[in-house]
Amino acid sequence: MGATVAEAERGTNSGQETASKLAIIMYSGTADKFVPLGVLAQAAAAMSVEVNVFVTGFALMGFTKQRHELPFPPEFAALAPAMAQGMQANHVAGWDAMLREAKDLGAKVYACSMMSGVMGLKKQDFNELIDDVVGAAAFLKDAEGGQTLFI
Amino acid sequence: MAETEPRTVVDAREESCPGPITDLAKAYRRSKVGDVIELWATDPGVKADVRAWAAKTQNEVVSIEDQADKVVAVLKIHRR
Repeated sequence: MGATVAEAERGTNSGQETASKLAIIMYSGTADKFVPLGVLAQAAAAMSVEVNVFVTGFALMGFTKQRHELPFPPEFAALAPAMAQGMQANHVAGWDAMLREAKDLGAKVYACSMMSGVMGLKKQDFNELIDDVVGAAAFLKDAEGGQTLFI
Repeated sequence: MAETEPRTVVDAREESCPGPITDLAKAYRRSKVGDVIELWATDPGVKADVRAWAAKTQNEVVSIEDQADKVVAVLKIHRR
């Protein structure tokens, strides 16, 4: 089971003074919110921080094999093209590329089992960014003792 | 000793945050204790990020220099 493997890996570096943890609960399903997910997960992983992302709610739509266009929140929709242009001009990677970098550096990404069920999504419906489908208790145990962000 | 320490140059110019720190982390993972990593970057946040990264990973910032076209940060690896 994925959670058990993750647990065992963690056990090996828990004695290190520099070890610390970041848990990100990714709930929002709008495109703008995925940028800080990518940036913070990648930056934390680069700083040797243990990163666990728990994807739930509408954010699950960003992780399905069948691609969904993530909407912009209506109040910022007019700014979306300028933001996209600015990100391109500044060589900002896409959120999924950033999350992939974070995963290459050891970050784990889990889908919420309850919301997956609610939305009719099974493990095989998710793309390769999702390591496993887990329950809230498993995630909270992973998050314990670290910083937690809710996006 | 006649040998000079191995120095790895990491060119992260034009990359936005958190690109430079990620490139640094990748070079760090390939490094050994005693290695020197020289990071080139243009992201305006890189100086503070390099200091934070070094404090977090317990490595040393030897120098951070503003050059005309880039920032050059030199780090010495003390912990792997």
